[in-house]
Amino acid sequence: MTEVNLGEEIVFWISGGLAVLGALGMILSKKAVHSALWVALTMINLAILYIANSAPFLGMVQVIVYTGAVMMLFLFVLMVVGVDSSDSLIETLKGQRLVSIVLAIGLAILLIAGVGAGLTDVVPVGLEEANGVDGGNVEGIARLLFTDYLIAFEVTSALLITAALGAMVLAHRERWLPRASQAELSRSRFLGAGHPGNLPSSGTYARHNAVDTPALLPDGSPSELSIPGPLVARGDVRPIDHHDVDQIESLGGGTK
Amino acid sequence: MTGSQFGVFGIDPWWLVLLKVLAIFVMLVLLTLFTIWWERRVVSRMQNRIGPNRVGPFGLLQSLMDGFKLALKEEIIPKAAHVGVYWIAPVISATAAFLAFAVIPFGPTVSIFGVETPLQLTDFPVSVLYVLAIASIGIYGIVLAGWSSGSTYPLLGGLRSSAQMISYEIAMGMSFVAVFLYAGSMATSEIVSAQEPIWFAVILLPSFLIYVTSMVGETNRAPFDLPEAEGELVGGFHTEYSSLKFAMFFLAEYINMVTVSALATTLFLGGWLAPWPLSLWESANTGWWPLLWWLAKVQIFIFIFIWLRATLPRLRYDQFMKFGWKVLIPASIIWIMIVAAARVLRNDIDFSNRELLIIGAVVIAVLLVGSWLAQVVIDRRDTARKLALAEFENRTYDPIAGGFPVPPMPGQQAVLTSRRTASPVVQQEAIDG
Amino acid sequence: MNILAAVGIEVPFTLPIVDYNAIAPLLILLGAGVVSVLVEAMLPRGSRRFIQLFIVFGALVAALAWIFTITGVRVITAEGAIAIDGPALVMQGAILVLAILGALLMAERSIDPSGDAFAARASALPGSEDEKQFTARGYLQTEVWPLFLFAVSGMVLFVSANDLLLMFVALEVMSLPLYLLAGMARRRRLLSQEAALKYFLLGAFSSAFFIYGVALVYGYAASTQLPAIASVLTAKPGQTSLALIGMALILVGLLFKVAAVPFHQWTPDVYQGAPTAVTGFMAATVKIAAFGALMRVLYVAFGGMRWDWVPMMWIIAILTMLVGSIIAISQSDIKRMLAYSSIAQAGFILVGVIAASPAGLAGALFYLIAYGFTTIGAFAVISMVRDESGEATNLSKWAGLGRKSPFVGSVFALFMLALAGIPLTSGFIGKFSVFAAAIASGDTWLVIVAVVASIIAAFFYVRVIVVMFFTEPGPQTASVEVPSVFTTIALAAGATVTLVLGILPQPVLELVSNADLFIR
Repeated sequence: MTEVNLGEEIVFWISGGLAVLGALGMILSKKAVHSALWVALTMINLAILYIANSAPFLGMVQVIVYTGAVMMLFLFVLMVVGVDSSDSLIETLKGQRLVSIVLAIGLAILLIAGVGAGLTDVVPVGLEEANGVDGGNVEGIARLLFTDYLIAFEVTSALLITAALGAMVLAHRERWLPRASQAELSRSRFLGAGHPGNLPSSGTYARHNAVDTPALLPDGSPSELSIPGPLVARGDVRPIDHHDVDQIESLGGGTK
Repeated sequence: MTGSQFGVFGIDPWWLVLLKVLAIFVMLVLLTLFTIWWERRVVSRMQNRIGPNRVGPFGLLQSLMDGFKLALKEEIIPKAAHVGVYWIAPVISATAAFLAFAVIPFGPTVSIFGVETPLQLTDFPVSVLYVLAIASIGIYGIVLAGWSSGSTYPLLGGLRSSAQMISYEIAMGMSFVAVFLYAGSMATSEIVSAQEPIWFAVILLPSFLIYVTSMVGETNRAPFDLPEAEGELVGGFHTEYSSLKFAMFFLAEYINMVTVSALATTLFLGGWLAPWPLSLWESANTGWWPLLWWLAKVQIFIFIFIWLRATLPRLRYDQFMKFGWKVLIPASIIWIMIVAAARVLRNDIDFSNRELLIIGAVVIAVLLVGSWLAQVVIDRRDTARKLALAEFENRTYDPIAGGFPVPPMPGQQAVLTSRRTASPVVQQEAIDG
Repeated sequence: MNILAAVGIEVPFTLPIVDYNAIAPLLILLGAGVVSVLVEAMLPRGSRRFIQLFIVFGALVAALAWIFTITGVRVITAEGAIAIDGPALVMQGAILVLAILGALLMAERSIDPSGDAFAARASALPGSEDEKQFTARGYLQTEVWPLFLFAVSGMVLFVSANDLLLMFVALEVMSLPLYLLAGMARRRRLLSQEAALKYFLLGAFSSAFFIYGVALVYGYAASTQLPAIASVLTAKPGQTSLALIGMALILVGLLFKVAAVPFHQWTPDVYQGAPTAVTGFMAATVKIAAFGALMRVLYVAFGGMRWDWVPMMWIIAILTMLVGSIIAISQSDIKRMLAYSSIAQAGFILVGVIAASPAGLAGALFYLIAYGFTTIGAFAVISMVRDESGEATNLSKWAGLGRKSPFVGSVFALFMLALAGIPLTSGFIGKFSVFAAAIASGDTWLVIVAVVASIIAAFFYVRVIVVMFFTEPGPQTASVEVPSVFTTIALAAGATVTLVLGILPQPVLELVSNADLFIR
């Protein structure tokens, strides 16, 4: 057996523990965003383990690609879909949680026992040896990519093209009319019957200045344009308190 | 880490490592304080003002005082915040910002208390990738800050800034490829020594330009500071942060500026190597002098950052993303292909420089003709739009449409009328009104 | 400047040797796929369909023609990653021929009055204004063609992959376009999208098993190449627990693609939801590709562990035959019924795989080819039987169809008889050769179960014939649309091959028995 030094052992137990913790946290979190964060933790710890195993290139790429890009895009989707959405806890299949836990534990025991038994009398050659063949981790990976796995590496591009094409087909909302340019939009706004400029802002008074308070026209009547449409539709517009207005005007010595 | 080329790293005694870490930390904090002051002074000068000049000589201590004030302010945490994540977001941001500096080389091997050691915390075969990796972890701080604030503007700001940073990180990573090809390494110290004869900014100019553009996008600075577009998003991802937590984001932003500048220096401007006239002096690249050259180069980039901020208006978001994906990334891909092809032609097929130049000229000629043809097609397509515009502009101008005096629309000509020759009726109306 | 040079290590880099002649069909297809994507990106919408069809058929025919020129090639190339041998060439040829028929079905435009079998724009929400506008303007989603080409190239690579990692990549290249194609039906789009999602999720899950198995096998053999794994197995026959678990996980991934019980759950939903043209193409070709890879893995890499995998495959084969046949009886939807039928057929082919003899391999190859032509023909008929809401797949709508349209009815009856394995059809010869090989290898009990399952299966095939011919056509009965030349050719080819292979199977039998050895 090659010696495993103390530092490596400490790194293994800390990072390995955190990776498992992240995996468990991913399953047990109720919020999808939290799950994604746990996965990110797992990924980073896996990267640390790779680096500890003298595969710095792999470790860095793991962080850049998985933590940096894949998980980030995942987080994106989760955040856009719903800031606070958590999964429904109603089970459609009765007892599936129990069954899946039992089966998962069974598979885990099988795998751990099998892998453990398979590795008992393996003689490791050591990391120096593994990296030494080509003079380093980067060079080693490069050589494999361009010799043994040349076809696999190149055909992966077909996979990526397919993925990109598929994303376009499923998600790209095409227009059946050409999109109006800024100039055209502006022109149609001026030609149309609508309000070409900014709408008047909401009313600003000593007591109320929220968006639900209409501005007053010179004759004292509320301006409907100053209230956002959705508020009007919801019936959330604050009525003008004319008593208030009168009181304020009398306090200021104004005449009506 | 294998390979004897990194023999000088990883053998420092523990106190020296600690000393280097401390020195980098202090330097980054000081640089941040200095950069804030510098930015305010430069922007002021560009706007015909003076800027902070009260606290300390030339107002140099202004940002220190501001920092104290910021840290001592009341902290307000929104009720809707997700506490744990809200807490950890600024920590991630600031930590990632500091970490990236571990692999930046400041100078050659020097003697510190009798120990020969390089002026660099550590280095390993993929240290440039390490900077990219740390940058991508730093994005988490921003995204999580936006999400955990439990409010709309921060969420939008966080999403925007992370979309922006991811997009520009691609262009950034691609601009490194040509450097790696020429340096034959991804380790910062070796990239610097590979620039001994000539800086990569000179021979890989397109890469350099792409990097400089994307580094501004990567740090969310003007004119790419869309995540903090005040008119749209208030403060962006840090709207709901105050006091020390806000200070950490602030710190992270400025350290990131220094980091990307330092990386630009390392990859393209020869790192700590002395610039040309100075490099004639024999001992310019020995001892502690290179630290000065390094600092000067970094400050040039920081000045560019400030200059950009004072000069350019902010881009619209969709234009900005289009620029990243449809200009920078394809341009980098094409440039990498050209560089790789040129290297293969030179190394394996034994082309001379002259033949390469001829090939280059032919390619450029083809591109020029192609772009001219493309422009012709685009112009033709534009005729429809021009017709519509002409129709719009040729409408008759009615100076008192709807009974009110109306100014002319863009492109319309006001009919000049003289008060004296105006009809009596109009004059009468004016008097009545 | 170079690190290596700096340290003084000289690592000679020798370029890998690739036999471009042997893998030219794959390169033709991949190249055509890339060109096809560029066509989508560059050319105006109106001209795309014609050019795409030209590229697709051109590439398929060219690849097929190339295979005819390299029939004698037996070579392991690309640093041991690709094996071009007898079975690989036969299966590549069969996949290409069936892909041509599949492409013909997909190119059909005159059956559906509003366009082809695919949604005008897959991105428009079902039932939205967008969807109506795109359909009314006659948009066609021509992106299906590059996807189709990539799927075919994945299959062609899958059957010749001699390296587990390459096999995984090929598996994904084959599957990913199919997930997409399954979700793009023009009619009943929600059903189609649900099918695609299920297919994708379960497919990704099974791929994860596959790659995990590859990792474990690599841990055992320190190589992912099949012959290398075999030689390690013979070198150290003890301590095979890693190889055993790894093999089991790899088989999960492959049996999923084959649609063997208990990994068959996706089949009925996907067969029903996907556009019928895609279902036909997929049913015929994926089965060949997946069985090709399965046999290569089992025979080349794990031939030394035969006594470990045979009992497991016994159970799976028996379950597959019985579950497929029995559940098919209760189906009222014809596409679903054919899905369960395809599960049962997978079980029959597994019988040939278990025989693990040259005769078994040849039988399985013959069965796959026969099944491919029959099933693609059957789905061609299904795509033509319609009512006002689109395809009429419910069995009640087929009542009396044989009397209303006797010609199409009898062709469909022929396909049903072939699937049931009635003499004078290709199905009979297929079943016979597979069962004979199994008996020769001593799996008599398995064959008895298989015969029982065939009898159960015959019931529902014959029931369709009874419904079509021995019921009076009513107002419910769907009508048969007149297809264009595309579907007609596919249908004619399917029917002809089904009949010819039943009456004169000798040439094809000779072909497959000449190609009965995997190269190591």
